[in-house]
Amino acid sequence: MRVRFSILAICITLLLQASLSVAAPYKSWTQLTPVQQEALQPLATQWDSLSTKLQKNLLHAAKRYPKLTPEQKQLFQNRLEKWSKLTPEQRKRAREKFSAFSKVPPEHREQVKQMVRQQEASKAAASGVPPVTPVR
Amino acid sequence: MNQKFYPEQIKQLLNRSLAQLDQPTLTRLRDARAQALARHDAHSTAPAFAWATLWTDHRHAADSHHKSHYLAAIVLLAALLFSGAAYWHHTVDHDVSDVDIAILTDDLPIEVYVD
Repeated sequence: MRVRFSILAICITLLLQASLSVAAPYKSWTQLTPVQQEALQPLATQWDSLSTKLQKNLLHAAKRYPKLTPEQKQLFQNRLEKWSKLTPEQRKRAREKFSAFSKVPPEHREQVKQMVRQQEASKAAASGVPPVTPVR
Repeated sequence: MNQKFYPEQIKQLLNRSLAQLDQPTLTRLRDARAQALARHDAHSTAPAFAWATLWTDHRHAADSHHKSHYLAAIVLLAALLFSGAAYWHHTVDHDVSDVDIAILTDDLPIEVYVD
């Protein structure tokens, strides 16, 4: 009887843990850790209005922020706001395109990047604003 | 003393002795026989009834035991499925976040990937 009760108790605990992990409410800006706040600083004012799913994804991404180079940190923060304003469908398409582009052979990828950089540079020259794309 | 009796002779002797018994003795013997038979009947039916009761109780206990095992198995299975789904969900989210951070730190601007 005691064994059966223990099995049931373990199962109920597992169910509760699983349900909490799936439906855990996400934290408000003030509840974020200093590291998370530093990573997601550009979104400080709009954080609480973001969708739970986006918050969840950004919090996952923020975990890797401390390991980024200073240059990557800057890019990450510069693009956060624009990224958060995309629709979920646009973000999904962007991920698909990025994944597809990652599979292109490196030499072709480099050619495409070179072309994009040239376009960015010409646009910047025309508008008088320096390009944000890093030159690598 | 060493005379040998055959079963038939013993039977005749007993019958003859029985014929010589007085009526009160015969009545007591008949009553004693009736009581012995009644005790014998009670003794032979009681264990059967007891066994039947025990068997029924055992059946009920076994049914209840099986039901709780069945319930525990269902709950365990549900917990495993739910945990698996949660783990899968967590892994997918993690993968999505990996792609997100790669896009956000890529050489190319976001606009290249956005329609």
